[in-house]
Amino acid sequence: MTNQLVVSGVTKRYGRTTILEDVDLTVRGGEVVALTGENGAGKTTLMRICAGLIRADRGEVRVGGAIGYCPQSPGLFELLTADDHLVMFGRGAGIGRSESIERGHDILAEFGYPLHERAVTRDLSGGTRQKLNLALALLTDPNVLLLDEPYQGFDRGTYVNFWDHCETWRGQGKAVVVVTHMLAELERVDRVVELPAHPSRAHHGFAR
Amino acid sequence: MNVLRRILIMGEMHGRDLTRRHAALALLIALPLSFYLASTRSGATAVSAGGVGMAFAVSGATMFSILSSIEVDQRLVLAGYRPIELLMGRLLFLGPLGLVIAAGFSALMATLSHPARPWLLVAGVGLVALQSVPFGLAVGAALARELEGTLVLIGVIGLQLAVELTSPVAKVLPFYGPSRLISSSLTQDGPILGPLVQTSLYGLALMILARLFVARRVDVQQHLPHADVADVAHPGEPELDEA
Repeated sequence: MTNQLVVSGVTKRYGRTTILEDVDLTVRGGEVVALTGENGAGKTTLMRICAGLIRADRGEVRVGGAIGYCPQSPGLFELLTADDHLVMFGRGAGIGRSESIERGHDILAEFGYPLHERAVTRDLSGGTRQKLNLALALLTDPNVLLLDEPYQGFDRGTYVNFWDHCETWRGQGKAVVVVTHMLAELERVDRVVELPAHPSRAHHGFAR
Repeated sequence: MNVLRRILIMGEMHGRDLTRRHAALALLIALPLSFYLASTRSGATAVSAGGVGMAFAVSGATMFSILSSIEVDQRLVLAGYRPIELLMGRLLFLGPLGLVIAAGFSALMATLSHPARPWLLVAGVGLVALQSVPFGLAVGAALARELEGTLVLIGVIGLQLAVELTSPVAKVLPFYGPSRLISSSLTQDGPILGPLVQTSLYGLALMILARLFVARRVDVQQHLPHADVADVAHPGEPELDEA
């Protein structure tokens, strides 16, 4: 399998605080990588840099195609329904209304989303919102998946189901990076990569 | 064609979002109405207050629509939208909505205040509504937080209401053109073309400003494509600990 995500020498600072310093990471297609590290180690920052949402101060990221990014907290429109979100996100990738809903429902059904619900996202539980959040990341069938603790609020069954899906995505040749603190599940990934807490942060009050 | 479809979808979704905010919609109408009704005894001042009061309502709704969705906007750009399409989608819904409110409201003012040229009052209030959208977009895109944005809206529109149209300060404010039209509607003469051109140019400048700021906030960096990825040797990942 070819490399699908290559991070080379990425450095990111906020003010005088170094969040990431000279980080390298390579993920091949058909590989599931767990990204771990202490609070403040820069896991979310690295994921956001990989997704292109923030710029690194130094270094570069190369990707092998479309990116699906699932942030830690669902950034959703509070007064739109799941279908509204599916249509809107699908249209961005040139997918029509009915196909977006059809694809989205298939993904949501796999994660046990209550499809009979027509509620706006504000009225959904945290776990249900997160399922929609994950479905939006998967909607366009991207080959690089960046999942930042995507199972927040999931019930036990859906949580186990999520790790089963990681294996399915591996079989489909996707490159998957999952930020996780769930050490019990690390045996289900191909590699565990731990981001070190950078020493410079000790001087600025970050957890060590 | 895809660009148009993306803009239409954004307009539709912002429409759905706002029409589910019943209290916000009620305030959108109540705010300029209260400005007008509170000053009806002041004659001409009431028409100006009500007209420019529209700016608070429409630009406030626009600003909050952009500030409350910066996070999801960036994901939409990652999903394939361009920042300008997100802005145009909002313009597409909020512009006509503002015009509808302005039409109803100016009809009421024309009935109660008897301006010399009622059609010009409709045009002036309509221009306030239209100008409010790029103004709200620019403020929302430039300022990261709702408090700062709200204070700027209050400051700018409040200043527009407070100063005389002849004041040099009034001339650099965004609602100067529409205010002149509203003022002209009260008499049989008064400029029309100048305020129209000025409002159009000001609106265009605000839209460009909004585009620049929103691009800074939601733009997504495009990484190098697949062919380059395959050529890269494994760098060994020396900085990370692999378990």
